[in-house]
Amino acid sequence: MRRARRGDREAASALFRRYWRDAWRAAYAITGRRALADDVAADGFERAFAALGRFDDRRPFGPWLHRIVANRALDLLRAERRLADEELPDTPDRTPAHAEGDRGLLAAVADLSLERRVVVVLRYGVGMTPKQIADALDLPVGTVNSRLARALEQLRETLEVEHVD
Amino acid sequence: MSTELERRLEGLFAEAPEPDPGAGAEALHRALRALRPVAPPHRGLRAGVLAFAGVVVLLVIAAGSLAAAGALHVSIGAKAKPKPPATTRLSLPKGAGASGIAAIVNGRLSVVIKGGFGLQASATAAALSPHALYVAAGIRHSLVAIAPSGRHAFSHPAGGRVVAIAWAPDGFRIAYVVRVGRHFLLRAIYGNGRHDELIDSSVRPVRPSWRADSLAFAYVGAGGKAIVYDLGHQSRSILGSPAPVTRLAFAPRGNRLLVATPGAAFLGRKTVATGEIEAIGWLQDRATVAVESGATEPLVRTFAPSGRPLEAFRVPGRVLGVTGGLVVTRTTSKILAGWRTKRVSTVLGVRNATVVEHLEIG
Repeated sequence: MRRARRGDREAASALFRRYWRDAWRAAYAITGRRALADDVAADGFERAFAALGRFDDRRPFGPWLHRIVANRALDLLRAERRLADEELPDTPDRTPAHAEGDRGLLAAVADLSLERRVVVVLRYGVGMTPKQIADALDLPVGTVNSRLARALEQLRETLEVEHVD
Repeated sequence: MSTELERRLEGLFAEAPEPDPGAGAEALHRALRALRPVAPPHRGLRAGVLAFAGVVVLLVIAAGSLAAAGALHVSIGAKAKPKPPATTRLSLPKGAGASGIAAIVNGRLSVVIKGGFGLQASATAAALSPHALYVAAGIRHSLVAIAPSGRHAFSHPAGGRVVAIAWAPDGFRIAYVVRVGRHFLLRAIYGNGRHDELIDSSVRPVRPSWRADSLAFAYVGAGGKAIVYDLGHQSRSILGSPAPVTRLAFAPRGNRLLVATPGAAFLGRKTVATGEIEAIGWLQDRATVAVESGATEPLVRTFAPSGRPLEAFRVPGRVLGVTGGLVVTRTTSKILAGWRTKRVSTVLGVRNATVVEHLEIG
């Protein structure tokens, strides 16, 4: 990390390779679209590397990067949400391999509100604790916990309805 | 304690797809460009040597990319020189106070400015900066800014073919459209090549148009509607139109937007012209619409910002555009610019097979 902060491109490349996959998968889980995940994750790294000089290297890099990626994804999706429906190519492009695993659950996660979807992705996709999510999104821990609880409740209800059908 | 649902969620995300290797390579390139080294407390000789070596490597890479793009010719040893591409003899329009002119002719960008500098390079799109100090061009899969003297300002990987570029009137931002696969993305980048951001992931390949205050620009969304994107508020306003928008032009002063569809032109909500629209733009403060009129010469009509008709005149040939306060037309052998200044000048000689994809006077 210290070498990367000093501009060592090899060290920065190693940092990138270590975290790129997780950052991209988090971006994909939030946006549901490969093209958008490419952009969000790339933007996240670009911003993170540009701000590396201000980063406290005693803290872990991963949660800081995921904070940037999650906020970038939220910004983009919120901006898109302001568009009229005809402008929104908002259909998640789930690959068959991904969709086959747990199709019902995947659809239910995609139906969560953006705010709930992000905390679910950061909790269960990235493995962050509610405290880390709260720090990343500038939210009180209580809000993160309540969003997680409501998201899980909504997912259970959706899955039950699907099961009945 | 983990519930069954939580375990399913963890399993679901564990099965998420992997990123494409190409996306990672591009992202790494972008991230490394953004790296801002923090200077160690004492810079030693080693750091100096490393920095120098880094600069040399970057210069070699930059020279290589320019050579590949055709903007710089590098020759080593006794290798036979390839035949240079045909030179486009572009001229500044006379008496119009223009700072520069840029055109893409047969796939080659040609730029000429008042001071006499000119450059040529293979390009897919181009836009002059204010006062023609730089030209931004789509070269291969990069957005490149070059001074007309040939000095390379920046090269930014675009991730696809750049099909349209518009430089903000204050020079601080560039909006550009990139083709990625079958889709077109709209991005914006600072005029120094930094802070590139995605604005819209699905648009039409129409050149964006900046508002005079440089705080917003108009583009055409995937649905064919004109959208005004406000950079300050990061908000969008969608403008209704009966048919897909093909051209956009903000007024050089104020915030009036002139919009064309295949069969009509609109100034705000008012329909100002109907028929096959060849070009739109502004002659100073006059909204200008060129309408194709079959066998006769095209009719150019101008309007006050309120939409009130002002004048109408015919021009020879086909109207290519309204740019730099001039109407640009193409006849069988020439590209001409003028009319409003009453002084028409030839800016380029052409043949029937000559393809002129873009022409801009700044």
